[in-house]
Amino acid sequence: MEQAGESRIAQPRDRVWRALNDPEVLSRCLDGCKSMTRVGDGEYEAEVGAKVGPVKATFKAAISLNDVVEPESYRLDVEVKGGAAGFAKGSALVNLEEVAGDDGDETLLTYQINGNIGGKLAQIGSRLVDAAARKMAARFFERIKVDFDTA
Amino acid sequence: MASETGIGASVKRKEDARFITGAGNYTDDINAAGQTYAVFVRSPYPRAKINGVDTAAAAATDGVVAVFTGADLAADEIGDLPCGWLVKSKDGSDMVAPPHPPIATQAVNYVGEPYAVVIGETLEAAKNGAEAVDADFEELPAVVDLATAASADQIHESVPNNQAYDWELGDKAATDAAFDNADHVATVDIVNNRLIPNAIEPRAALGEYDAAAGTYTLHTTSQNPHLERLVLAAFVNVAPEARLRVISPDVGGGFGSKIFVYAEETAVIWAAGKVRRPVKWRAERSESFLADCHGRDHVTTAQLALAQDGKFLGLRVKTKANMGAYLSTFASSVPTYLYGTLMAGQYTTPAIYVEVQSLYTNTAPVDAYRGAGRPEATYVVERCVETAAREMSIDPAEIRRRNFIQPGDFPYDTPVALTYDTGDYEASLDKALEHIDYAGFGARRAASESAGRKRGIGFSCYIEACGLAPSQVAISLGAGVGLFEVGEVRVDVTGSVTVVTGSHSHGQSHETTFAQIISDKLGVPFENVTVLHGDTGRSDYALGTYGSRSLAVGGSAIISATDKIIAKGKKIAAHILEAQEDQMEFADGTFTVVDSNQSITFPEVAFAAYVPQNYPLEELEPGLSEKAFYDPPNFTYPAGAHICEVEVDPDTGVVDIVDFVAVDDFGHVVNPMIVEGQVHGGLAQGIGQALLEHGVYDDTGQLLSGSYMDYTMPRADDLPSFTVDTTVTPCTHNPLGVKGCGEAGAIGSTAAVMNAVTDALGVASVPMPATPETVWRAARGE
Amino acid sequence: MEITLTVNGAARTVDVADNALLVDVLRESLGLTGTHVGCDTSQCGACVVHMNGDAVKSCTVLAGQADGADVTTIEGIGDPDALHPMQEAFRDNHALQCGFCTPGMIMSAIDLVQKGGGSLDETAVRDGLEGNLCRCTGYHNIVKAVLAAQSSM
Repeated sequence: MEQAGESRIAQPRDRVWRALNDPEVLSRCLDGCKSMTRVGDGEYEAEVGAKVGPVKATFKAAISLNDVVEPESYRLDVEVKGGAAGFAKGSALVNLEEVAGDDGDETLLTYQINGNIGGKLAQIGSRLVDAAARKMAARFFERIKVDFDTA
Repeated sequence: MASETGIGASVKRKEDARFITGAGNYTDDINAAGQTYAVFVRSPYPRAKINGVDTAAAAATDGVVAVFTGADLAADEIGDLPCGWLVKSKDGSDMVAPPHPPIATQAVNYVGEPYAVVIGETLEAAKNGAEAVDADFEELPAVVDLATAASADQIHESVPNNQAYDWELGDKAATDAAFDNADHVATVDIVNNRLIPNAIEPRAALGEYDAAAGTYTLHTTSQNPHLERLVLAAFVNVAPEARLRVISPDVGGGFGSKIFVYAEETAVIWAAGKVRRPVKWRAERSESFLADCHGRDHVTTAQLALAQDGKFLGLRVKTKANMGAYLSTFASSVPTYLYGTLMAGQYTTPAIYVEVQSLYTNTAPVDAYRGAGRPEATYVVERCVETAAREMSIDPAEIRRRNFIQPGDFPYDTPVALTYDTGDYEASLDKALEHIDYAGFGARRAASESAGRKRGIGFSCYIEACGLAPSQVAISLGAGVGLFEVGEVRVDVTGSVTVVTGSHSHGQSHETTFAQIISDKLGVPFENVTVLHGDTGRSDYALGTYGSRSLAVGGSAIISATDKIIAKGKKIAAHILEAQEDQMEFADGTFTVVDSNQSITFPEVAFAAYVPQNYPLEELEPGLSEKAFYDPPNFTYPAGAHICEVEVDPDTGVVDIVDFVAVDDFGHVVNPMIVEGQVHGGLAQGIGQALLEHGVYDDTGQLLSGSYMDYTMPRADDLPSFTVDTTVTPCTHNPLGVKGCGEAGAIGSTAAVMNAVTDALGVASVPMPATPETVWRAARGE
Repeated sequence: MEITLTVNGAARTVDVADNALLVDVLRESLGLTGTHVGCDTSQCGACVVHMNGDAVKSCTVLAGQADGADVTTIEGIGDPDALHPMQEAFRDNHALQCGFCTPGMIMSAIDLVQKGGGSLDETAVRDGLEGNLCRCTGYHNIVKAVLAAQSSM
């Protein structure tokens, strides 16, 4: 499973960078996220409820930030163990580029995601999971953008 | 005795009364007082090292009775699940089988492999417990692709190159020479798609332990309860044979997948002893997809060498066969002795050389599935023949005729180890051509063409080796067990009969067919014959049902026992009628002194045997009950001609089977209605393989076709009605002259369909399954 | 929760879990094991029963939904001495082998014929039974049986 996307955010890059490193922001922006706890430097644990086709479960996700180049890019690795529902894992390469906007500095966020799933998720939900993941990622980066307006 | 209920009559089935009223008694319908429920915890990874399994939280879950891991079974000296057929490689070395613990201990090697089992007071409690089992897996790269498996990561420490064996059969030098002299060589590259058996009843088990007696009773969905008992006792070490009873009650279809000894049934009966309570398990369909043995899965290149006149000179076959992660109960024999040996087909091909490399991958184990090796062989041979016919512009019926073994040639020794006893292949082909109206095909094709559709016709003249098997032949080729069958005929005091057979019926209708035989041979009314099967506590050790053997082997055992009954009956009758034994004749249920009007009926003789007043007790035991073990002297060789006519819509790729004719030679037929039903079902599965079914793993080793949403089972609206007919050359070496009919439909039909589809499109090949997308692409030359 | 339903003509009151399925109530609580479970995605049709006059897959009906309903299972349509015409047609046409899909198949077929107005042809029968899987018969004899029953029902 591979996908990519981009989102233009009307905020300077260092603000976006800070948001992308703030568990509270991440938690707010991730669909179904019930909790996100920092457990170490660049390492988080999250609980996410998700439904893919007929498989509905609460997943425990271990999230870590790697290859960090502040304030430009990082790789976000996610590993999800869903017990009897199976597992999912993936990484998102996130890149922030400074661009000039009408009202000052803006940021172009681009991301590339790849991942795979296993167990019942793959067995029952493989046809659906790609679309579900695509939607989840798109919503996440969209919400990051909106979050600056509401935060 | 030709009667309405004897041999040859389409008697309505005894079984039906219970099945159509909901009174069937399947394993999951049986409950024991105080039973617990088992749920298996299965690997989501295709390949991973197990660093540890933490069962504490699971054990503490409400309603959980016990949690067991592979270590618990190992501590109890529960052994590995064995493969029962030793195949040797070309170099004489034994096949290599990795250890296969019922519950994984060190590593998991396919998605769905169990690594723990949770026993709960309720199913829900067990499921909750299973959810709480926490395993520490270290993921390893999975080997999924069969074609490259030999050079991929080594899956099992003890198995270099992931190779089970590299086997050969036939004369390589003679075959090479045939190709050197050939005028034409036809080459085909074939992928025989992976299939998932999907008997509609999922596997199930109810294990019980009687602590006072120290005995175990396992109710389970097995095609061969005696084999299950033998393996669990002798190899897996659950309990000594005498203290283990295995009962297969009504079983909802098998198709091979219920032959094997599996992890779950093993764990259930063992666990019943540990928790000292009955343990019940029924697979969810998702589990069936993951953990029932799959079928087929070959990659093959085959070449047929021909002379200018279309005579076959030689056949060369090179196959890679997928064994999955472990070697299942009979897996090794399927792509070898049930495959390579059938490469002569119905033809006089003088030189044949077959090589088969069997490889492990991180997928579910692959074993026998309806036809087991013979559909694969038929597909190879019949695709080669059809390809050669088209390349050489010879009519596909005609090229077959030129190469058929002729009726006068029998017994016929093939170059691949078999001796065919009898057959008339042209008779079946002629009848099939008539049914399909081959002469009218050109006009039908033109009509389709003008309607914008492409019409094609495909042939498949298959042969199979059934009636498994002559024990000494099988054992010399590596079988770990004899393959005879037992039949017992118990004449009751009043002259009714109870038959006990080692063959198990899970759709085959033994209760009817075997009663017909008894009714015919002993003159006992059909309704007064009861057939018992499926219980190691009832019948002697026997081998069960697979390989279209029940009538040819199990039925022959019953005939032998019946002969003993008649022989003893003659002694009793002679005594009572004060005649000589050799003066006695038996027919239509009556013993008669030759050339006299003195006679005594079968029930009267039975009564005398059990109330031995006027009876020669000094020289004859009382009672009238006989048993026979029948070991077949040869395989049986059902054969036939299947012709499929399709119409393809080039715009959508949809294949419509407009006509399907199957003419089969099963030797004598006991119940034509039942035989036709067996053929119909086999055809559906063969057509399913050709057009619909495909077990698919993604390149990381996840099963994608893991439910009825993604694995395309043939449904009523996917199939046509069939034209089914028979020809008869009686088997020469069993008393009924029967050959077996269970697998023929699945063996012959796949090649016929694919030959028709490629004919319609005018292309050399189309991969299976020929789904609309695949066909649409092929039609566009992609 | 407690539900009351009529099963094969008799009123039955059962205490069930909120998430219990009708098929489990029939099989486990009421011992009506003629209704079978062949899959976990509502696609095999082995569990078909009639509820308020319609064929339903009882694995897709919550027990709570069946409160007050009139349910007929395979056990309720006939017995060996007085078979339903559809049962008789299945036997006469050898429309079953292992028997596992048979109860669901018969219940679907009865519903199909009852609603078909006597005008079902082979194609209509095949389409109408598309929701019931059989692995033994290739459907050939099932189709014959349903068409035969259409004449006798």
